[in-house]
Amino acid sequence: MSGVQQSTGADVETAALGQAQMSLVDLLDRLLGTGVVLAGDVLISLAGVDLVQIRLHALITTVRADLRRPEQPGDRHGS
Amino acid sequence: MPANGLYLFAVGRGLDPAAISGVEGIDGAALEVVVWRDLQAVVCAVDLTEFGEASLARNLEDLTWLERVARTHNDVVFAVAATGTVAPMRLVTICEGEDSVRDRIEALHHDLSAALDRVEGRREWSVKVYAATAAAEPAPEPPDDKAEVGSGAAYLRRKRALADRRRAASDRSLHVADEIYGALAAAAVAARQLPPQDPRLTGRSEPMILNAAYLVAIDEGAAFRALVQRVNETHASATLEAEGPWPPYSFATLDAP
Repeated sequence: MSGVQQSTGADVETAALGQAQMSLVDLLDRLLGTGVVLAGDVLISLAGVDLVQIRLHALITTVRADLRRPEQPGDRHGS
Repeated sequence: MPANGLYLFAVGRGLDPAAISGVEGIDGAALEVVVWRDLQAVVCAVDLTEFGEASLARNLEDLTWLERVARTHNDVVFAVAATGTVAPMRLVTICEGEDSVRDRIEALHHDLSAALDRVEGRREWSVKVYAATAAAEPAPEPPDDKAEVGSGAAYLRRKRALADRRRAASDRSLHVADEIYGALAAAAVAARQLPPQDPRLTGRSEPMILNAAYLVAIDEGAAFRALVQRVNETHASATLEAEGPWPPYSFATLDAP
């Protein structure tokens, strides 16, 4: 079994923020699914993580190029 | 509509504007700090032909655009979080100008302050738990009666047994995920679960059975990571992966998570 992955090499430096290797999926989890939701002057509909789910296919085919394949009619969206 | 708007990255407290002066905003724009009462909003100017409603609807579907803005947003939030207490805004929060930013801070001052109180001196850790084996698909048991292999009854029996085993494996996964979530939550100030990520996005054959976020005191980060390691070693049926420390994305929310 593999050990716990280290996001930074500096284990002692845990007060510092560990940004290395933050994946786009993790990023969108946070930037779209959490955080302060404040209605700005430009109103857009980002209803929760829906955007991530709606765009799952785009994410899969772009982020995970090695998994690229023709769209299957039965593919489910979201997690 | 004016040509420029302000992209709002985060609202913070006790930030040192000098410490983020070298950090670039969207498309290389300089960061500005809009102060209202004891709070500071970190913003940068954006072109509304790119960040207006109609453009955003289109741009958000462009993954290259989305990733560029998300990475810039994240870089700014990390830089800001290193200088003080921060509540990150959701992606593409756009205001018309500084007065509009101040109006919003004033309107939400109580809630923003409460959110900042919750995360002050704390960081977020991400812990993902994967089932140790690929989705339960046990090897079929050898048929006990060779003569029966081709019969419909035997087929149904095998199908039912497989479904039972899958259900049992799924129950075990849920149980393990709950147990791990609780064990780590006991060492954190707060915890919450995010939806597990799709296997096609994680690129792993093992299903993600837990996608958790923990709020942990800055000086307890090393101990938390060590705890994750210990829990990982004591659960043969799961693999834990910890990442952090991150700004408190999942906990600096206006409603207590």
